[in-house]
Parts: sequence; C-alpha cells; structure tokens
Amino acid sequence: MDKPVITENRITIPPSLEFLSEVDSFIEGILRSYDTDESTVADIAISVSELVNNAVTHGQKAASDKAIVIEIKSVKDKVIITVSDHGGGFDPDQLDDPLADENLLKEVGRGLFIVKSLMDDVDINVSAQGTAITITKTIK
Amino acid sequence: MRLADREQDGVIVLEPKGKIMGGPDATLLHDKLHEIIEAGKKKVVIDLSKVDWMNSTGLGILISSYSTLRKSDGELKLANVTEKIQSLLTITKLVTVFDAHDSVEEAISSFK
Repeated sequence: MDKPVITENRITIPPSLEFLSEVDSFIEGILRSYDTDESTVADIAISVSELVNNAVTHGQKAASDKAIVIEIKSVKDKVIITVSDHGGGFDPDQLDDPLADENLLKEVGRGLFIVKSLMDDVDINVSAQGTAITITKTIK
Repeated sequence: MRLADREQDGVIVLEPKGKIMGGPDATLLHDKLHEIIEAGKKKVVIDLSKVDWMNSTGLGILISSYSTLRKSDGELKLANVTEKIQSLLTITKLVTVFDAHDSVEEAISSFK
C-alpha cells in the first residue's frame, strides 16, 4: 500500500510519518461525532500521534514495510483505540525514566510516558508478529 | 502546521500555528530553528499561542533548540503557552527547564 485506507472505524497507513495528519483528522472526526469535549479530543489525539510515531519507528528499525492499523470504537462512555504494527517491538520495562535528571534534556523517550499520563488505561501487547497498544479514555 | 517568523528588537520570534506532531511539519520547525541558530542569532522566542497541541516530538524540538542555543551562549524563551502545552510541560517536568512568559513582549523584555 502507498496511501491510507479508511474503513468505518479503522485507518490503515503505510509505515511513514507522512500520514500522521491523515490519522489525526480521522481520529478527531470520529471523536467529535461522539460529542467528545475538545480537551479530551486533544489528549486522545496527542496519544494516538505518539503511538503512531512509535509504530513507524519500530517498523523502520525492523525494516518492515507492513501497514500500521489504527482502530477506534466507543463502549458506553469510553473510547478504545488500538494501534498495531508489525515492527520489532520493544520492552516497556526497559524504557528510561524521562523524569530522571539525567534524561530531562533528552530529545526523545517520553512518548509512552505522555500516553500513560493522559489516558485512563494503556495495554501493551508485544509479540513476534508486532506490537499492539490499546488505550482507553473516558469521554465527557 | 504553518510557521511564521519575524525579528523584533533583535529577537527572533517564531509563530508556529496548528499541531506539532512529527513528520514533515515538525521537520519544518526543527530546520527553521537550527537555520536561525546557524545564522548566529542568539535570542529566540517561540510564541505558542496558535499551537493547538504538540506531542513529544514537539517537546523534543524545543529541547534541541534550547540546548543548541545554550551551547552558543544564546537563549530560548517561550511565550503564550497554552493550557494543553503547559500541562505537558508539567507532567514531563520540562516546566523546570523552559523560561515561559505570558506574552511575546514580556519574553522579549526578559532578554534585556
């Protein structure tokens, strides 16, 4: 694939940061259709952009050209979004603490920390096939 | 994201607009900041009033600019930090790093 494909509640993109804004437009459009308040829309949009950034990076490290899939659904008052890639994965327990003094001025390494701070729940599933991260947020 | 820049009282003022999330938009801001630094400008203000939000890529660009300017005896200041970005600076403890002001004029005056 060389461009994003949108189905009802899913956008599939090639592993390139070039498509971040398409993902953002898709996610924000659906969130607004759920009458989500703007602050929560921003929190979720920031989190999804972090996960897609990570997925693209994992894909590049693994030299994978396989697609990244972003799925969104609402269950009662919650939004659940899963970002799946086919990259090499990572060990979430091995990530540096971005709040440590020695890491404070590092330019990278705080994406997942931000996601965990903004979302109600973050579930990370790393397998040989890739990584799937599911975020959950209560919408108002 | 769109990016405007101007010079006021010897200070470069950058005015990004939109979202700073990575990819081509983030490259634009990163390259502009480093072009300014390489041109020998040492005083830079980033006016964040028109930035809807940024993610860790945007924060990384601010850190890169802050560090590069400091190495050349320059200084980066932020102005009009929105509530959403302030919240990110707080949870990442970067609020302790950046010098933020309520207006561009106040940020410019703080260089003197």
